Amino acid sequence: MKKKLLSLLLAGAMTVGLAACGNGGDTPAETPSDNPDATASDANVAVFYYAYSDAFISSVRSALDTALTGAGIEPQNFDGNSSQTTQNEYITTALANGANILLVNLVDTASIDTANAIIEQADAVGAQVVFFNRAVEGTDQEGVVLNAHENVAFVGTDAPEAGHLQGEMIGNYLVENFDAVDLNGDGQISYAMFMGQVGNVEAIYRTQYSVEDANAILAENGHENALVYFDASNPDMYQADQAGNWSAQAALEYMQTNLSQYSEANGNMIELVICNNDNMAEGAISALQAAGYNTGEEGSTTIPVFGVDATDSAKALIADGYMTGTVEQSATGMANALLGMVQNISAGMTMDEAVAAVAQTDTELYSVSDAVANKLYVAYSAYTG
Amino acid sequence: MVHDVLLQMTDICKSFPGVKALDHVSLTARRGTVHALMGENGAGKSTLMKCLFGIYRKDEGSILLEGKEIEFRSSKEALEHGVAMVHQELNQALKRSVMDNLWLGRYPMSGIAVSERKMYQETKKVFDELEIDVDPRQTMSTLPVSKRQMVEIAKAVSYNAKVIVFDEPTSSLTEEEVEHLFKIINMLRDRGCAIIYISHKMAEILRISDDVTIMRDGQWVDTRPANELDMPTIIKLMVGRELGNQFPPKTNEPGEVALEVENLSGQYSQLRDVSFTARKGEILGLAGLDGSGRTEVLENIFGVATRRSGTIKLNGKTVRNKSSRQSIKAGFAMLTEERRATGIFGIRNIRDNTVISSLSKHLKAHIYLNERSMRKDTQWAIDAMRIKTPSQETKIRSLSGGNQQKVILGRWLLTDPEVLLLDEPTRGIDVGAKYEIYQLIIDLAKQGATVLMVSSEMPELLGICDRILVMSGGRLAGEVDARTTTQEEIMTLAAKYV
Amino acid sequence: MRNPVTAVKQTAARYKTMDARDKKSFWVDAVLNNAIYIILIIFVIYTWTQNSNILSGPSIVNLINLVASNLPMALGIGGCIVLTGTDLSAGRVVGLTAGISAALLQTATAANKFFDSLGEPGLAMVFMALVLALLLGGLVGLVNGFFVAKFQLHPFIVTLATQLIVYGACLMFYMSNGNNGQPISGLSDAYRNFVTGTILPRFGNNGALTIPNYVLYAIIVFAIMWFTWNKTTFGKNMFAVGSNPEAANVSGVNVFFTTMMVHALAGVTYGYAGFIEAARISSNVANTGQNYESDAIAACVIGGVSFVGGTGTVSGVLLGVVLLRIIFVCLTYLSVDQNLQYIIKGAIILLACSIDMRKYLTRK
Repeated sequence: MKKKLLSLLLAGAMTVGLAACGNGGDTPAETPSDNPDATASDANVAVFYYAYSDAFISSVRSALDTALTGAGIEPQNFDGNSSQTTQNEYITTALANGANILLVNLVDTASIDTANAIIEQADAVGAQVVFFNRAVEGTDQEGVVLNAHENVAFVGTDAPEAGHLQGEMIGNYLVENFDAVDLNGDGQISYAMFMGQVGNVEAIYRTQYSVEDANAILAENGHENALVYFDASNPDMYQADQAGNWSAQAALEYMQTNLSQYSEANGNMIELVICNNDNMAEGAISALQAAGYNTGEEGSTTIPVFGVDATDSAKALIADGYMTGTVEQSATGMANALLGMVQNISAGMTMDEAVAAVAQTDTELYSVSDAVANKLYVAYSAYTG
Repeated sequence: MVHDVLLQMTDICKSFPGVKALDHVSLTARRGTVHALMGENGAGKSTLMKCLFGIYRKDEGSILLEGKEIEFRSSKEALEHGVAMVHQELNQALKRSVMDNLWLGRYPMSGIAVSERKMYQETKKVFDELEIDVDPRQTMSTLPVSKRQMVEIAKAVSYNAKVIVFDEPTSSLTEEEVEHLFKIINMLRDRGCAIIYISHKMAEILRISDDVTIMRDGQWVDTRPANELDMPTIIKLMVGRELGNQFPPKTNEPGEVALEVENLSGQYSQLRDVSFTARKGEILGLAGLDGSGRTEVLENIFGVATRRSGTIKLNGKTVRNKSSRQSIKAGFAMLTEERRATGIFGIRNIRDNTVISSLSKHLKAHIYLNERSMRKDTQWAIDAMRIKTPSQETKIRSLSGGNQQKVILGRWLLTDPEVLLLDEPTRGIDVGAKYEIYQLIIDLAKQGATVLMVSSEMPELLGICDRILVMSGGRLAGEVDARTTTQEEIMTLAAKYV
Repeated sequence: MRNPVTAVKQTAARYKTMDARDKKSFWVDAVLNNAIYIILIIFVIYTWTQNSNILSGPSIVNLINLVASNLPMALGIGGCIVLTGTDLSAGRVVGLTAGISAALLQTATAANKFFDSLGEPGLAMVFMALVLALLLGGLVGLVNGFFVAKFQLHPFIVTLATQLIVYGACLMFYMSNGNNGQPISGLSDAYRNFVTGTILPRFGNNGALTIPNYVLYAIIVFAIMWFTWNKTTFGKNMFAVGSNPEAANVSGVNVFFTTMMVHALAGVTYGYAGFIEAARISSNVANTGQNYESDAIAACVIGGVSFVGGTGTVSGVLLGVVLLRIIFVCLTYLSVDQNLQYIIKGAIILLACSIDMRKYLTRK
């Protein structure tokens, strides 16, 4: 009897717990018919995020939730949890449930087929799709998806731009501080590169352009081929998170292992660290600090570390001088653009018109792609504190 | 019928690192006869059979089947050539139906689909032929061991087996089931099969077999017609020495009443209203057919089965015995029937197996276990039980059945029990080891322990018990005095509530 | 434990009595039974011929650090595997406890402070956070254990479920208090010193080498686990239940309690790992700890904690962790192509496990 009571209690506790979760979290809202605001009642907005666990995406999510609810629209949010399959299943379900505007943060950016499949599904029931943040098509195939459909638009960044910006920032920083950074005075900067995920478009661009652009700027200023990957025998010239999580842990463990054979004492210290995102930058800094670098203490060497995303904690590190720079992407800017798209589409504009109208609201922040009229760019900006 | 030679194994040798398991052993099985293979555990009977079935590869020697040299690579291949084996420990897919088990690996097909209908009919046909009363669609695990064995035999028959090996087929059968088995074996023999029959039970062998081969220590000792043999001769050949009696002299003397059981009923079993008493220093037997509730009596007393009602008193005081832990504290110990399934920790060593129930004795400062005292207790068990093992660190599963049983007995003796509940304590154990176990039981009783012993072997009960309770259909059918009763009286009582 | 000298003497005496064929199989067995050590040594020697830095002081210190951070969790999971189970919730529990530890122990001036009302944490607060992490981990473990023991569910499915629940809670935690899923960092010095600081003297040339405190803690955890597995009633009972739960029950072992406690203990090690991991990597996101269990499980199995149940040693787990970390370090030192790294790691795990499993196969 006692045992049965225990099981019952436990089951009870779980039910209460689940109910509490239901009230607490950002769960899907009521159906539009419950919504008192008549103007927005036509828009049944479903938002599909690639992963709730991503820091930047989380910022976008809360900014977008605030923006949409402020405009009287209750979005339904879905976590793709880094699986395109999961996201597709959510999309099918949401469409069946009457969603007519889909805001999609694709999981799989490697193939245009993914985006096409989603668009066709939406088309079949007359729903509109706005992709955001993660690219639907590569830069070399601009328009193949977006130009081919009426009901689709893209709000996001130009995938290579973060890499370009990071490279520019690094190049300028090095030109100014070349001798200080070049610890062994060999006229070359040996750098480490941490890649977030093998095969991810943005990770590839960032890995490539950050080094290429920085080298170009250095060359203009008299430092030919100054950036050299620290490990000459590594053909990849990067170290990637094997789990594809863009995680601090991966960067930490690589950096710690690297530092066990590359040091100032050996005259081969890694003089620059470039990371695909801020989370990895923080992991690398943690390893550097354990080895006595970037501690901010008197006499300690600070190795410049660059990331992307401008998370709050990265900004804090930059403010304290432990980190050098990052690339900022405005989550609020992204959210407001998406809100504008939703409102314009609901008001009956075509996708191209909606994009143009949003771009008008802040010409500094937004721009329309030259090649594709339904592609809205939210600008990146360099952040160095 | 011409009893020509069907299977001829000549000069088979097999060695393992450090051991010569088979040393020029020969065995001839003739058509239409039963050939018994006898020997103590470890004599090499199983190894010989494993060489036949390709589970082991023989080092030397030849095997001829109907005059043709064969060397099977698996039991499946042997089966396809008409050589089948009914194992002591049945390897069956318990969650599947009877007919699935029968046709496993060669399902009757219709097109690309398995034909359930054909399978059912074929199964039914074989069962009718052998007078087996089992529904082909029943799930294997719901059948008693005896029925599962019948299915295994039916499987052999369905392969048109010419040679069928029975490995200890009666070790888990009741007398009645044994009769049925013998009927089937006789039927198979009359159809022209050659039967190889491995068993420890001499009475059975003398009854059923035509020839007897005796092995000892991996060597062939003798092959003789059964009618030239008697029990003492067989024992002498098997153990290599005279073994005066099957049972040691009874030296225990029952004292005052120690255990009182009243109205014991099981919650999830058939057991109903069993009441009895047992005395200090008494060996109380529990007889009955399979499923008559013998095991359940022990399980309910020991608290590993849920009781519906009933009180248990030890020395006048009521004991709760709701779980094995309480029972052990109260002075009870239980040796289970299925040694492998519920007795040994196969992958652990002898020491761990020995001390597991008496760990609290070795606890120092309430946290850690004293290695030395555990070693000492284990050594005591090894010496007292005369366990044959290279060391305390030997894994228990590499010991013979008899030695495993002694380890478990040792485990229980270390808890200083007043009441020993023994369920088939000598199952699957060879003659020599059996004698030693009997001696242990009698010695324990002599020292004042109360022993409750379940057994399917009637002579064993008659040989060492003081009184015997007979169970039938979950109820206590009667009580007999072991010295004056007969097998017939017990069988009559066992059938009382069936 | 047997006296190693007599053991060697006995083996030598036995060896002399063998015939040629047995002698050969003796050597084959010796090689195969120690295959993991041999693989390890070959791997290190090969790396050394390519890059002699692998055996330098800093490299060895690095290896020790990496091992220390993975070991406690692997030891926890090891217990579950001894019970023929597994634990998929480990990584997510690490994530949750890491997040909570970090949130409690940010400095007063951290930019994105999670709990605004908390001031600069002192050592007392660090201990409180540690206890909280251990309790939280233990609680999840207890829930796992309860469902496994009470309903006889396979731990695979139980922990698959709790893993999801914990992840959900973790995501909610990161979104709460206006944090909006941002990484939690800006950890206090008291916390970082407690974990990654050192109380040992610096050594090596110019004192460039240090052993961080978490290595010492890992040694303590290892000692506690060794004691628990080998010297306590609980340990003996754990192996008994893992080896044969039915027999354990008849023998008077409380199977329910033992199962619960093995899982709870495992949970405590994840809580501990979360607490350490938060300070070690210093930037914590909801995904921290993801898939940590896969390496931990692999380490256990490589180290001879068999899924068959009832066997395994604490030192075996250590060996498994060391092997996995050596693979990581060597591949990095060898600058092996990233794609190949997956293949090599997979192949070595498979090889190591099959060779080890060979010991448990019945010989024919």
